[in-house]
Formats: sequence, structure tokens, C-alpha cells
Amino acid sequence: MYELIITLVLITLGYFFGSRAEKKHYKSIIEREKILNSLPVMASRIPIVKGDYDQILVSGNVVIASDYFKGFVASLRNLFGGRLRTYETLLDRARREAILRMKEQAQELGADIIFNVKYETSNISGQVSSKMSVIEVHAYGTALKKA
Amino acid sequence: MKYENPQIPEGINTTKEHPLKELLVLLIGSLLVILSITFVVTFGGGWLVDKIPFSIEKKVSNMYDVEKHVDDKRAPELIHYLQGLVDQISEAQDLPEDIKITVHFINSGTVNAFATLGGHVFVFRGLLEKLPNENTLVTLLGHEIAHVKLRHPIKSLSAGIFFSILTSAVTGGTGSDLLGSAGLLGSLKFGRDMEQQSDKEAMVSLQGMYGHLNGGAELFRIFQKMKEESDIDEPVKMFSSHPHDEKRIKNFQVVAKDKGWHETGALTPLPDFFQHSFVARKVN
Repeated sequence: MYELIITLVLITLGYFFGSRAEKKHYKSIIEREKILNSLPVMASRIPIVKGDYDQILVSGNVVIASDYFKGFVASLRNLFGGRLRTYETLLDRARREAILRMKEQAQELGADIIFNVKYETSNISGQVSSKMSVIEVHAYGTALKKA
Repeated sequence: MKYENPQIPEGINTTKEHPLKELLVLLIGSLLVILSITFVVTFGGGWLVDKIPFSIEKKVSNMYDVEKHVDDKRAPELIHYLQGLVDQISEAQDLPEDIKITVHFINSGTVNAFATLGGHVFVFRGLLEKLPNENTLVTLLGHEIAHVKLRHPIKSLSAGIFFSILTSAVTGGTGSDLLGSAGLLGSLKFGRDMEQQSDKEAMVSLQGMYGHLNGGAELFRIFQKMKEESDIDEPVKMFSSHPHDEKRIKNFQVVAKDKGWHETGALTPLPDFFQHSFVARKVN
């Protein structure tokens, strides 16, 4: 009985704090994406601009944790299959945040464009499945700066 | 060629659906799954468990060292007497050939007795001390033996294991301690129907051995009195696996009337050593 109450409390807390954090994060992501729009990033491996440029490695790194609510919904979803929607937003936020941080780095260096952008995603919560999932997203690319 | 990153519309990689809606749908879904599996297990599981031979149940129980938890060796006289009664009751209840009951004594003040896997019946000193005569003792043993005869331990154990699997699947637990948490050698919880069936078998044993039911209902009076003394209200019927003591006492009258069995008759006294100590030598 106590276990059930504790679980319910954790889920409720996870929902309220988790969704508040998510809303706030998305708001900030969208705002910063607009600001940094002037600095294009692309996945192509070969620089598409010609001229004399310096190449600098830039990267953005994010570690983000799931909340109890997301984990609970996902574990129920595991029984039935389908989109793990609660994790989709989590990963979407992490990827966009990583790109933004990479862009911020490039902007500070005075770069014009970032090419050959790649992502690495890893789970750093360990092998225990009952543990809360914590993911790390690392975005990196080559920034070009006029010499 | 122009190089730019246009603003990508939201809601492609993610969903705009409210997460609580998803939770609700999933909760209703899993509840339906649990209910339907419970239904199948309750009605199909009992049938399936009956197909498990007793020898397999015995093998499972042999994995556990029963001797370590009981005080049989310290009360040989008592065990000899109890085992004799148990064998007589087994005959009265027409136990299948392959089911053999082994009775054990636990030197503890707990007022309880229980049956578990492999035909092991455990009786605590606390309960033995409260018994007024052999007829009541036979009712108690008959009740526990009936649990084994009707395969209640393995039935409730399978349900227990099943529910631990289910909960660990939902809560994401590893479920490595399934057998442990189901309590293989602990006193298992039996349903109210199981208790009623066993009560009936206990009456059959009484009738078979003494030709009357006198002394049987006494067992439940002991429990009733104990509850009154401990000042705890009898739990509401819904939450208690044992039927109300009052109801069980009445059940003796109902069955006696129904079958034309006598409710009165001579009571057989307990052997002398019941007056003294069950244990030959007390350990300090």
C-alpha cells in the first residue's frame, strides 16, 4: 500500500515538475533558435563555401534526465508498443539544445557556417533498467571562420 | 546556392497530444489486460495446477531445508502423536495415494498453523496449548491437510508468482526474486473459498474418525476469543481471507444438519504430555 502511494506521489511530482521544465525549455529553445538562425549548420561533409577559411571544431553537449512520469508512461507503453512519445520530446529537446550550444560556441568564435555536423547520443544511466534514464547528446561539427 | 536553416515547424518529431491522455489510455489498457489475465488465471489456472503432479510440488519443496526451521527433534513424542493423527485424517479424507502429509512442530508462542508446498503442515506451540481436546486438534489438522489435498498452496503460489511477474513487468523491476517474494515456505494466503472448502473437509475427517462433529467449532471459538482479547476488531469480511469465525461456527451446524451428522458426542482427551511441556528439554 505504501509503495503504491509513494509511486503515485512520484508520478504526480514527475508530471508537474517535468512538464513545467519541458515547457520552459521548449520556449527557450525556440527563442534561441530564432536568434541563432543567421548561423547555418549543415550535415554535408565537404565545405560548400569557397575562399580562405579557418576550420575550428565546435561542439555542444547536453545531459538530460527523464522524470518519473515519463518513465512510468514509457514502461506502460512497453506492454503495448508504439511511439514512446514522452521520450520523443526528451530527445528532441536534448538534440536541439546540443545544436544550440554548438552554435553559441561557433558564434563566439566569429564563425560564418558549421558543416559536417554529427550527433552522438548515449544513455548514461547504466545497465539497470529500473533506474531513471539519463541521456547525453553531443553535437559536433566544423566551423568555418574567414581567415 | 543559398545556405540557411529555415525555422522548422514544431510537432513533427514530437507530438502535441497531451501526455496525460496517453497515460489514461495506457492505464485503462493495462487494467483491462490485468483483469482479463486474472480472469484466465483464476478459472484456467486452477484447472492447470491440478494437472501438476504432487511429486513435482514435493521436488520444489525439497529445495528448501524444512528441518532448519522446525523443532521436530526436540518434541519426538508430540511429533509421533501428531503424525499418527495426520495419517488417520489422511485416510478419512481419502487423500490420493501420492500425497503424503508431514507434520512439523514449531516451538513458538504464535497462535497459528499452516500448510505449505509438498504436504508440509506446521503447527505452532501457541496454538497447541490452547486446544481443549483431540477433536479440536483433528479439526485443525484436517483443515490444513485439506489445503494440501485440494492443492491450495501451489494454487496460491502460482497466483503469487504470476502477480509478481505482472507487477515487475509494469513497474520495470527485474523480478529476480520471484520465488522469494512469493514466500515458498512462509504461510501462504488462501482465498475465502479455499478456507471454506477446507473447513468442510475438516468436518469430513471429524465424522470419519469420531462419528460426530463435537469439538470442531471449538477451534474457531479459540480464534474468536483471541481476537476479542487482543482488542482488535475482526477485520471487515472483504479484507479477510478467513471467513468470519462466527460464520464458520455456524457452518458446522449447517453441514451437520445437511448431512444428518451428530453435533454431540464424546470428546477424546489429549495425551498427558499436552499438560506439561511439548519440548523435552528447554534451551536457555
